[in-house]
Amino acid sequence: MRILSIACSLAALIAASPLAAQTLNVATAGDQNMVDYVKDYLGPMFEKSHPGVKVVSVGTGPGDAGSQKIYEKLDAQKAGNATDFDVVVIHQKAAGTMVKEGLLAKYTDKVETAKMVSSEAAKNSLGSDVSGFVIPMFQSQTALAYNADLLKTPPNTFAELKDWVAKNPKQFGYNGIKGGMSGVAFVTGWVYAFGGDADKLIKGPYDPAVKAGWDKALGELKDFNKNVVITPGNAGTLDMLNRGEIAMGPVWVDMFYSWQADGKLPPNMKLKLAAPGMPGQPMYYAVPDKTANRKLAEEFIALATSPQVQADGIVKKFNWYPGIDAKNLEGKLDQAAWNKLFTDITPADLSAKAKSFPIAPYFNDILESYEKKVAN
Amino acid sequence: MPDRFRHGSRIVVAAPICRGMTPDHAEKRPNMSLSQRQLALLLIAPGLALVGALFLYPLCFSLISAFTGPGGGFSLQAFAKAYELYSGDILFTILIVVTSCALTALAAIAIAGTLTLGESRWVVGTLKALYRWPLFIPFIVAAQCMRTFLAKNGLMNNTFVSMGLMEPLQAMSFLDWRGIIITFVWKQTPFVALLLAGALASIDRATLEAGRNLGASRLRVLIELALPQVMPTLLVALVLSFVTMLSVLSVPMMVAGSQPTMLTVDMAFRINAYGDYATANALGVITYLISAGAAIIYLRHGMAKENAP
Repeated sequence: MRILSIACSLAALIAASPLAAQTLNVATAGDQNMVDYVKDYLGPMFEKSHPGVKVVSVGTGPGDAGSQKIYEKLDAQKAGNATDFDVVVIHQKAAGTMVKEGLLAKYTDKVETAKMVSSEAAKNSLGSDVSGFVIPMFQSQTALAYNADLLKTPPNTFAELKDWVAKNPKQFGYNGIKGGMSGVAFVTGWVYAFGGDADKLIKGPYDPAVKAGWDKALGELKDFNKNVVITPGNAGTLDMLNRGEIAMGPVWVDMFYSWQADGKLPPNMKLKLAAPGMPGQPMYYAVPDKTANRKLAEEFIALATSPQVQADGIVKKFNWYPGIDAKNLEGKLDQAAWNKLFTDITPADLSAKAKSFPIAPYFNDILESYEKKVAN
Repeated sequence: MPDRFRHGSRIVVAAPICRGMTPDHAEKRPNMSLSQRQLALLLIAPGLALVGALFLYPLCFSLISAFTGPGGGFSLQAFAKAYELYSGDILFTILIVVTSCALTALAAIAIAGTLTLGESRWVVGTLKALYRWPLFIPFIVAAQCMRTFLAKNGLMNNTFVSMGLMEPLQAMSFLDWRGIIITFVWKQTPFVALLLAGALASIDRATLEAGRNLGASRLRVLIELALPQVMPTLLVALVLSFVTMLSVLSVPMMVAGSQPTMLTVDMAFRINAYGDYATANALGVITYLISAGAAIIYLRHGMAKENAP
């Protein structure tokens, strides 16, 4: 009898639980730190303001691979009633595809903070029109990190870098294109510098004949590669900088500052954005079209893109550039944290030399031409 | 007399027992009622279903995808692309895996030989306690350790420098093809040595002792008397290692830069960067062919042995 009553109450509890607790599933394509950011920082904050709601943070892995997994999941559940994910954090390439295939909901008009977004990336994602579907979580940037003790004046342009590497063999390292995006960004910067019209690659329209014009630039890159070290991954480049095995290499600015703050990079390391510039990319908050918790998802994103959270979480904690316009963060952030973000790379540098990645078809052309002409 | 009766009486005694238990033995079969046969089928059904769903279905799927063109229909386009972009990596993969197998075999023979023929109890005991450790360390952990161990200013070189064995300027990085080979050999040697030492322990010691009594050195006893008797075991262990090394993604990704790299990294890149499953599957088929090559060499060898007079 007692067992029966326990079983009955258990059954009642299980039956009642969906009413009592609502779950918001947030899928993040990115490194573990981004997953933890949702799990340990945003999630608890949202749960506090929405009693009864539970935020579950899922990571799908770093890089475009992580976004590809989210895309595959949403695509597979397209025919069903509801998707497993309520909020997704995705890269630019996947965002374009998902919008085109109707997997995302148009939601930004219902979120107040969307008005604070000024960046071009919120409308145009590698050539796809994504306005209304995404709000940037943050903006990240690549740059050349160098050891200021070993070289006093870092190269100002890619042409100067080429000469410097010829004079200082095996002192420059990058991770090719298969080991992470900092290497991809460097190769893209190289094509912007030596491959002709960079603006056309960024804005489109796509012309399949353009890639034939990169042969000379890529041939030079192959020669350049003979004097560089190919490192194992984004972290591999930073590791080698740390151990003094190379003097310069392309890195993500946020990783650079985080590693330096953790003492994993010596303080004599500095950053330089060489002309004509290197690409950066945002991560996007988006809502799947078939989510069962549309309203909650919108409220979650509103919180995540509010000035205070952007100041404390995005800028101060992770050294990313904010996803909403920086002027909204004034007064929310102490001067020291603000200055740190712009010590080596000034806002003027950023506006002149922070490029976006090329539109998707050119992006693929650059990667494949590199594999064909440089790597094999 | 067939080869397998030579090693002693144990197998001869065991053989009839084994044969009696075989279900398809001619005398046993009529006794099995229909329900028992159905039961047997039922028993293997979950296993078969698992193999079918998790292995055969994806295998066929990837084969079909590798031979399908962008517009549907049969096409070798994916293979053309795989060759155009990754011919260097295909060669690199084969070289890495073959070299690693050869070095693994040498190291495993040395370890297993010492365990079987070693005369110093202290050396044998220490080796026995130590050699199996890498077996319990996953590839990804091994790769992570090697990454800091083999670097130019890594643990290994720094140790040599501080011991005065090397000038700091002579230090060089092993984080390239050499790093991959070192990691593979370090990780696979215990596995091969374990199987080999087991086989060596079960051969008839009288032949080895006879050799020693007639004045052969221990090395000669190992190479000319012991090894030929355990060759099949060594080959099985090496073929298994070959296939394992062919399929590891973490080691080439973490230890070495990506130019050139192994096929697993290219497959991952093909999918992650372009969502291009066709070329990735074509690379997969090429990997099947490489591992099939290893299997054929093994089978050839096995058959030649069986047919020998």
